[in-house]
Amino acid sequence: METTAEKNIILQVDRLKQYFPVKKDSIFKPKAYVKAVDDISFELFEGETLSIVGESGCGKSTTGRAILRLDEPTDGKVLYMGKNILTLNKKDMRKLRGDLQVIFQDPFASLNPRQMVKQILNEAMAIQNVVEKSRRKERMLELLGYVGLPPEALDRYPHEFSGGQRQRIGIARALAVNPKLIICDEAVSALDVSIQAQILNLLKKLQKQFKLTFLFISHDLSVVRHISDRVMVMYLGKVVEIAEKKEMFDSPLHPYTKALLSSIPVPDPTLKRDRVILKGDVPSPIDPPGGCRFHTRCPFAVEKCKQEEPPLRELVNNHFVSCHIAETLPV
Amino acid sequence: MKESNRPILEVKGLKTHFTTKRGVSKAVDGIDFTLHKGETLGIVGESGCGKSMTSLSILRLIPSPPGKIAGGSVLFKGRDLVTMPEDEMRKIRGNEISMIFQEPMTSLNPVIPVGEQIAEALRLHQKMGKKAAWDKSVDMLKMVGIPSPDKRAKQEPFQLSGGMRQRVMIAMALACTPEVLIADEPTTALDVTIQAQILELIKELQTKIGMGVIMITHDLGVVAETCDKVAVMYAGNIVEHASTEQIFADPKHPYTQGLLNSLPKIHEDQEELITIDGSVPSPYNMPGGCRFASRCPYAEDICAAHQPDLVSYSEDIKVRCWKYTDKWTGKRDKEGVV
Repeated sequence: METTAEKNIILQVDRLKQYFPVKKDSIFKPKAYVKAVDDISFELFEGETLSIVGESGCGKSTTGRAILRLDEPTDGKVLYMGKNILTLNKKDMRKLRGDLQVIFQDPFASLNPRQMVKQILNEAMAIQNVVEKSRRKERMLELLGYVGLPPEALDRYPHEFSGGQRQRIGIARALAVNPKLIICDEAVSALDVSIQAQILNLLKKLQKQFKLTFLFISHDLSVVRHISDRVMVMYLGKVVEIAEKKEMFDSPLHPYTKALLSSIPVPDPTLKRDRVILKGDVPSPIDPPGGCRFHTRCPFAVEKCKQEEPPLRELVNNHFVSCHIAETLPV
Repeated sequence: MKESNRPILEVKGLKTHFTTKRGVSKAVDGIDFTLHKGETLGIVGESGCGKSMTSLSILRLIPSPPGKIAGGSVLFKGRDLVTMPEDEMRKIRGNEISMIFQEPMTSLNPVIPVGEQIAEALRLHQKMGKKAAWDKSVDMLKMVGIPSPDKRAKQEPFQLSGGMRQRVMIAMALACTPEVLIADEPTTALDVTIQAQILELIKELQTKIGMGVIMITHDLGVVAETCDKVAVMYAGNIVEHASTEQIFADPKHPYTQGLLNSLPKIHEDQEELITIDGSVPSPYNMPGGCRFASRCPYAEDICAAHQPDLVSYSEDIKVRCWKYTDKWTGKRDKEGVV
């Protein structure tokens, strides 16, 4: 991350809420909602990689989708370069999608199986009209070069490629429209480690080359540690901690982050660690616990945690945590 | 490693082939390993290396056709499972050797209460009465750490969370106190905090029951934390077999080295990850020589021409690589993995 220059905020998420209605048992009961993302705020600086981590159902992917308006958020603001994109009409939003691109987890499901690679890339460019028709072929070959695929790939269908190669096609498609911000939603989770390493290196290279900003959504903390500048941890639709990567991994403040970090199996049999093993499962997001949402599993919870929802506060420089008792916890 | 002279499970030259329209896919192509009482063997490798097929072959659960055990033997306490009649095999499955699968939702019957599913195994194998089997099944649920087990036993799988379903699978697998437990990616579908719970549970129960465990996983972290020894598979073969400490401290096979190098490290910063070039060969069209030769930074002429054997490098290290034989000329030995 740039440390010398002033950090420009490229994306600001303000009190974003995403509720999904669930089927009612009876018409007399109040309508129930899954509060997938419940009032979260954060910002993304130009050129950085911010990772969102958390377990299934914590709302990390929903956040990514809400920012792109793939689902319409319930409430809140998403400011892209100072402009609230949630109020844009369809036409303006489509224009803006050129700046905001996404790479999905499953490259099999996100590429049209009936389109050849050249059609996939051409479609992206045609919709955004970023490249003139006559130059498109040239541009496609250039894109394949960036992501490390041979020119022959243009005339092939997605099924002819391996998982890693398909993910490269997905990346090429995202790059086709000259984006500024790419949301990588579990972009390397489906890949084997040796292939995952290739894709991670590629993403890092492209970020430097095109000054991209990444919002990197992942459950894999080793990958997050490798790629991020800053890390945000979510639990049950809430942000529990945001910090610079090194700070987060070296001195996590929230009990959930601590447990999460200590749960990762480390490929080093000589390392013996004190592991915090959490009790129980993540509660249902339909009826999340009151107060701090983590209090049902937190080994340190006090009475206040059950009553009052902790605000996200800056405890150390640029290290935000939402925990009432973070200062008093054992390191 | 635990002391015990005779292994309970001995796999020798096991081959599992699939005959399809595209030709013969050699999913497992001649593998050997042994498992002792109380020991945990990890089988690691990437997608398609044959690790899951190995476990299914041991229990003869290969869909046939198109699959077929094409050769080799699986000796369980001296008896060959490959040639055993089906009705005797059925007595061993789920009783003396049991298995935990990756996805508990698809491996449990969705319309039968979980307690009933565990009791069924007990009635069948242990000839328990209805009441006794039910009570034991509630006990098992309690043992694997499910809260209010008598209530949960009456629920169907969809009413339980992923972690709890996996606990049910474990309870079912352990109900008959098996001597061998095969865990095929038991935590892959789970979140890390739940994964930590489940791995801890398997370890704890292993010490209690004293069974041998085969842990099949793609996650080298899981291997490092749970296994005594490791077999690394690549394209249907075991390429390296050694103790866990040995594999992680000083991997011998270039593939094992590449695999460990390509992991992002949680405790250190790296600018760029070291990768293995290329991708796994197609199982329908295996190269004639060493299967890793086309991706190997050290490959010599002999590697492309002849398949190396899995040979002993030292007392507890076996490796399948020409580099460690006297046929190796070493003239193209490059520094590090490219």
